Amino acid sequence: MSDAAVVPRRFGVRARTPAVHNKNLNWVLIGLLGLITLIALTARWLAPDDPIQPVGDFNLPPGSPGHLLGTDLIGRDLLSRTLWGIQASWLSALAVVLVGLLAGGLIGLVAGAAGGWVDNVLMRLTDLFLALPGVLVAIAIVAALGPGLEHTLIGISIVWWPYYARIIRGEVRALAARPHVEAARLAGAGKGRILRRHLLPGAVPTAIVTASLDIGNVVLLLAGLSFIGLGQLAPAPELGADTARALSQLLAQWWVPVVPGLAVMLLSLIANLGGDALRELLDGRR
Amino acid sequence: MIGFLTRRTGAAIIVLLVLTGAVFVLQQYSPGDPVKAYLGANASPAAVAAERVSLHLDDPLLSRYWHYLTQAIRGDLGISFRTHRPVVTDLGAFLPATVELVVVAFLFALLLGALFATIRTLAGTLVRGILLVGATAPPFLLALGGIILFYAHLGWLPATGRGGDGFLLAHSLVTGDWAVFGAGLQHVVLPAFVLAVAPAVSIGRILRASLQQTLGADHVRTARAKGLTEAAVFGRHVLRNSIGPGLSMAGLQLGFMFAGVVVVEQIFSWPGIGNYLAESIPAADYPAIAGVTVVLGAVYIVTNTVVDMIQALADPRIAL
Amino acid sequence: MIASVDDLHVTLRGNPVLRGVSLSVRPGEILGLVGESGSGKSMLALSLLGLLPPDAHPQVTGTVEVAGVDMVHGSAAAHRAVRRRELGVIFQDPMTSLNPTMRIGRQITEVTRDRAQAVQLLEHVGVADAALRLRVYPHELSGGLRQRVMTAIAVAGRPSLIIADEPTTALDVTVQAQVLKLLRDLRDEYGCSVLFITHDLAVAAQITDRIGVMYAGRLAELGPTRDLLTAPAHPYTAGLLRSRLSLSTPRDRDLPTLQAEAGSRGSGCAYHPRCPLAVDRCAEEQPPLTGSDHQKSCWRDISDMPAGNSAPDPGGHGAAAEGEPVVKLRDIRCDFKVRNGWRRAGTLKALDGVDLDVAPGEAVSIVGESGSGKSTLLRVIAGLIKPTAGTREVTGGTQMVFQDAGSSLTPWLTIGELLRERVLKLGRAEQDDRIEKALTAIGLPITVATARPRQLSGGQRQRVALARATIVPPAVLLCDEPTSALDASLAASVLNLIRKLRGDLGMAVVFVTHDLAVARLMGDRIVVMTGGRVVETGAADDLVSRPQAEYTRTLLAAVPEITS
Repeated sequence: MSDAAVVPRRFGVRARTPAVHNKNLNWVLIGLLGLITLIALTARWLAPDDPIQPVGDFNLPPGSPGHLLGTDLIGRDLLSRTLWGIQASWLSALAVVLVGLLAGGLIGLVAGAAGGWVDNVLMRLTDLFLALPGVLVAIAIVAALGPGLEHTLIGISIVWWPYYARIIRGEVRALAARPHVEAARLAGAGKGRILRRHLLPGAVPTAIVTASLDIGNVVLLLAGLSFIGLGQLAPAPELGADTARALSQLLAQWWVPVVPGLAVMLLSLIANLGGDALRELLDGRR
Repeated sequence: MIGFLTRRTGAAIIVLLVLTGAVFVLQQYSPGDPVKAYLGANASPAAVAAERVSLHLDDPLLSRYWHYLTQAIRGDLGISFRTHRPVVTDLGAFLPATVELVVVAFLFALLLGALFATIRTLAGTLVRGILLVGATAPPFLLALGGIILFYAHLGWLPATGRGGDGFLLAHSLVTGDWAVFGAGLQHVVLPAFVLAVAPAVSIGRILRASLQQTLGADHVRTARAKGLTEAAVFGRHVLRNSIGPGLSMAGLQLGFMFAGVVVVEQIFSWPGIGNYLAESIPAADYPAIAGVTVVLGAVYIVTNTVVDMIQALADPRIAL
Repeated sequence: MIASVDDLHVTLRGNPVLRGVSLSVRPGEILGLVGESGSGKSMLALSLLGLLPPDAHPQVTGTVEVAGVDMVHGSAAAHRAVRRRELGVIFQDPMTSLNPTMRIGRQITEVTRDRAQAVQLLEHVGVADAALRLRVYPHELSGGLRQRVMTAIAVAGRPSLIIADEPTTALDVTVQAQVLKLLRDLRDEYGCSVLFITHDLAVAAQITDRIGVMYAGRLAELGPTRDLLTAPAHPYTAGLLRSRLSLSTPRDRDLPTLQAEAGSRGSGCAYHPRCPLAVDRCAEEQPPLTGSDHQKSCWRDISDMPAGNSAPDPGGHGAAAEGEPVVKLRDIRCDFKVRNGWRRAGTLKALDGVDLDVAPGEAVSIVGESGSGKSTLLRVIAGLIKPTAGTREVTGGTQMVFQDAGSSLTPWLTIGELLRERVLKLGRAEQDDRIEKALTAIGLPITVATARPRQLSGGQRQRVALARATIVPPAVLLCDEPTSALDASLAASVLNLIRKLRGDLGMAVVFVTHDLAVARLMGDRIVVMTGGRVVETGAADDLVSRPQAEYTRTLLAAVPEITS
């Protein structure tokens, strides 16, 4: 046997990487999405100490007895603050993505299915929002409303939906152009039935995958905004803000700013891996 | 072409109007009082009232907005409440630092993105892995890690500042002042890298997928059937056809970088407009906030337009 | 020998695609390679080129030699040199096979390295204004011109062998005839050999000196074109010839079909499960390719082959009832706005004043090339497109069967759900009853109701599409090239089914096709269209034997036929 009669591949990538189709691993990664949500929801019971009140010595390093991740400048338990921070970050990110998905998805679905002037008006509006530098608008909105987690969420949500509207509208348009929709129309299916049975189910997988891959982006953006003082107000725990407030300790007690930063990274990593796994599973099913 | 530019200019004007309009409407509802910040906490109520009048703060919103727009066309973006200097002067002082940082970071992102997309073998997997994990980290964490490693431990790179003013790198490069150029480069490496990681992964992913798709295309098979070398096949038939999606993603990311620069500049005390914005926000310095928004918004629009034009050049099927 | 393969086995992703092929191309000959999809003919071409897809992890044994160079084991540089100096290639789809971002001229000079020569080549392959055309991009040319450019590239390096892989499949018949003539002329002029791959025996008959028939990765038969067509030695070849739909196939009988593909091939001759001559030995032992000039790979003697199996068509031919027409179109016009690259939007007259009557129960075939407006007309009848002008009266319901059945069935719904949608007004029990009847009528088991479209084969999907259209019998069944994506033997059985359903349900049928032979078999009447107009209408046999319009004659002359 020989496989020499093939194209040499010195340049670029091979035509397709043989993907590791490991279904079980994918399910585990998707399970992690659920687990982190569960942790976020139950943080108040999981956290060993009060996140606001000092409970121990100052600046204990990680691994100290009773304080697994150490304590901060004024002796608050870092594990407790991080758990509460995860709750704030993760649930906020889910909320932003959900709002974006519902608002954008609805607009995209209507625009894509209706076509004509409805599509034109809705997409012009979407394009206008897309032409704005989203992060900057969010910053401006938060800056104007004043810092605070709710304001940050409002600011991000306002700039987040157009992205979904575009993607879902594109998906619906592509589906609507397929012969099966025309065939369904000829078969006598009404507008509502076509939308419900012949269009929507085709757009759902894309929407879910897009949204799950997006959670990580929102987590990072929230943390970034909090870091520059546009998020949760002190003394409530928030991962980005906690890092920013402990910056001066970086060279002396590195763990105080780094622990919450690592927690952000963990959230975004889980969101990305879970989203990729979801995409692979749904792609394989098509 | 002319039609395209006209349409884009029209769109740009609308976008800038919406952006500044949003800032104006929002400041109406903001809690902070800029005049107190402007005059200091122990200014007399009479002085505050007088100042409000002279700043037109008590005029109706629309007339203030109109005033702002007519002034802006003449190149006057108002006076910063915080620095007491014209916003245009402030922007002129801070913008070069940001532009140099973003340009260097963008070059990094393109380079890393290209590596991400094209290297094979174990090294490629390694580079991709590191970049992928790096992209999931918040920029401030990367910055902290970089400072601990390269400044505190190794002492190779400075932690803050940029080692000069204005278009430092460009100027020293043109005049051949290598000592200044080297120092500037040392300062810019870490912040630029932190800024570049996430965009590099976005660009690299798209480029990689697009290259893979093109490599499987029929016309590439034709090119191979002509007996061309793999270098020629890749250079003439694969690269140009795959570059489009990568380019538009790069443009999008360049826009994002101008916004993301706010966080990075603050960590590295980089004297750019991101830092200026971050300091203006708590001071409720609306002329400054609006000014930065206008400048960044304009940069964002120009970038997108240029990217669309490059894309049309690369693919003759796209008509502008 | 220009090129030869010996006992070539190729496995892609663990599936054998070539299973012992031996073949050589003689200097100056046109060798045809004929087979259905999946027979391995394209993989043989890629093996000769040394371009088997690397991501499919090809495993190769046996030898492939082109101009004395080993294309299996040799160095990549040696393979490249062979491709550059000895081989030219024409692929099926000229749109995707040319680089969309590179000017035509550059794509030719990549091989010739000389502009003057490129101009000369383009003139040679019949491209007018060659010097100007060098500057255009592929998407600015028509399909026929693109394939001519592809041919120019193929001959640019003065190859000793041109490999043409289905070069005319994507083209209209009249263009196909021109490209075939061009290939033959180029062979005569340059003295090169051509390996011509096609799924259509009649196309191969037009141009080849020898034909190899491939089945399941092996050569079933190999011989001089005339011998092979007049005296086929392998039952598969004989079956293909018999089931070919031609302008002389009897109209009043069921169309002859090959036995459908059975489940597993097992050991022995791959064709034995479908072979009318199969004996025990065929299932056990693989027959070798034997014979000197005309070779076959079969244990049996073809003279034992039973006569044709086609029964008289029970369907109601000429059953068109008198009465008010069910479809009545008057002066239908249909304009589309088109954007043409940089230019301003223009108007395309897809339909330019069409009249058409269809009587109850009548079968009308509409024949035309791409862009003739035939599909637009069908969509106007279906009510999917509103005509710009003209009157449309359709009494009774219409239903439509599409070209690509796979994409006309909603992928995430089961066959049962798709069928039920048409009978929602009935009670549940009656719904189930109707679904069962509809599936039985098209010859599929009831269990198909729980399957999703992608779990079915192409032929089965087209049958399901027919069941969906006829579960509530329409007054008119509209068919948009329903068999053009199917292999010949499957196509015939779907056509038979449409004829049977028409007889059973008493529907009128409007059948759109690009193939005059199929049009004649499916319609009582044929309507010939070009450029959005009807040029001729007539009773099926009359129109074919005594065409009136010039265009009909051109079309008829271009239909590839096997003359014995």
